[in-house]
Amino acid sequence: MSAQDIILSSGTSTLAPAAQVRKKLSKIAKLFDATKCNGCKGCQVACSEWNDLRAPIGEFTGSYQNPADLSSECWTLMKFNEVTDENDKLRWQFTHSGCMHCDDPACLTACSTKDAIVQHANGIVNIDSDKCIGCGYCVTACPFDVPKLDEIDQKAYKCTMCSDRLQVGQEPSCVKSCTTGALKFGTREDMLFIADLRIKQLHEKGFTKAGLYNPQGVGGTGMMMILHDISQPESYGLPADPKTSLPIKLWQDVVKPLGAAGIIATVAVACLHRITVGRNVVDESDNDDDSEAIDHTHPTQSDKE
Amino acid sequence: MHKQNMILRHKLFDRICHWFIVAVGLVTFLTGFAFFFPSFQWLGAIAGTPQMARFVHPIAGLMMCLPLMLMLVRYYHHNKWEKNDLTWMLAIKDVMLENEDKIPAIGHYNPGQKVLFRTFVVTSIVLTVTGFMMWQPYFAHYFASTAIEWAILLHAICAVIMLIFVIVHFWMATWVEGSVAGMLYGAVSRAWCKKHHPNMLKDPELKTIKREKH
Repeated sequence: MSAQDIILSSGTSTLAPAAQVRKKLSKIAKLFDATKCNGCKGCQVACSEWNDLRAPIGEFTGSYQNPADLSSECWTLMKFNEVTDENDKLRWQFTHSGCMHCDDPACLTACSTKDAIVQHANGIVNIDSDKCIGCGYCVTACPFDVPKLDEIDQKAYKCTMCSDRLQVGQEPSCVKSCTTGALKFGTREDMLFIADLRIKQLHEKGFTKAGLYNPQGVGGTGMMMILHDISQPESYGLPADPKTSLPIKLWQDVVKPLGAAGIIATVAVACLHRITVGRNVVDESDNDDDSEAIDHTHPTQSDKE
Repeated sequence: MHKQNMILRHKLFDRICHWFIVAVGLVTFLTGFAFFFPSFQWLGAIAGTPQMARFVHPIAGLMMCLPLMLMLVRYYHHNKWEKNDLTWMLAIKDVMLENEDKIPAIGHYNPGQKVLFRTFVVTSIVLTVTGFMMWQPYFAHYFASTAIEWAILLHAICAVIMLIFVIVHFWMATWVEGSVAGMLYGAVSRAWCKKHHPNMLKDPELKTIKREKH
């Protein structure tokens, strides 16, 4: 991947687009199979090892999930979602939680800074932390609640899909470490094909609600998940219909162009008025003797009270 | 050489307050513009770096909005709606075209200025509240993402409205000769009052300043 592979860039206008790739690149994806995951946290540790992330030791909160949430020092988190089934039996539903690398990323749309968030031709969404100003718009906008601001440098961080490994032809470290084969990596096309086969297999085994989580509200994701029960993504801690929210769309697509038009129109009217009507000049000789209104009893030299 | 009667229009405290708001408001708007239109990120460079602009913006914003509340208290009585105000508003075309014989007499502030001041007050309050909600890293984490998203939208809308009114304010002030001098030095001439704010001369608290004219 080179800098020229960027296809979307935050803070840029479509009227003056970022350099577009001229060669078609295949979109890549990670495929997480929740039906195969045993919650070993290998992916979580591999991520922290490869990216040299050292989250501070937290506190026990009554869950095997640790740490409690993603952070600037935890880009991949094995989520232990506790679910009770019809027979009141406790079951874990694991989620390989991290950046979903959306096709239509809300974080990039909301970003206030030019080129701070980019989407590469292979579909990876990355934050350039050096350019990030820490406004937190991406943190707020992400429907998956993934990017997090760092407490020390106030910049946003998240999973990079191990872009540095991909550049030299390796797979992401989480995929490399997966013990059960729950994580796979390849082109999105291949991953969709594999997911399709696996879901058919699951249906045959009696998991009739099994399906692929690849939400279209964000244009599909570069991190897809096979779930036992696709009708209840919330039980995996995943939003049912993630998308760029209405206020963010209104802000970027309506308020910005209307605001620009309003500001330009006001300045234009002001200039026209100045040219046509001119200045409103006072005739100081019109200072005739109606000075009875002036209180001469307390003439002051200064305007201080 | 003769003595000219000048009229005190703005007290020293109010003038300092006004120009303080102008100074920090300029910083707030330039840095804010850099976030609102990322193509104009270079405007935020007045703070040094984009990161500094992000840090300075909310502080400058507060320093702009809070003194405005002080001005609200001090100028409140001047901004009440008066009887000629509606007819003045309806005669806005004559005002703009300087058909002064057709303009009804108004007092210390004309209704246009009153609307402007009220807009500054309302947008300031909304900008302060929404600004706190989105202020990273100090306050934003107290609020839900959805609330912050709406706050960002409202903040942007109010900022645009305020900026448009600031442009109008600047344009009007430089249009009417003597206004800017009045805000800088506090004094306006008697002829200026007669022309622009005739009822102001009826104010029992009117103060005159005797100045040597050279």
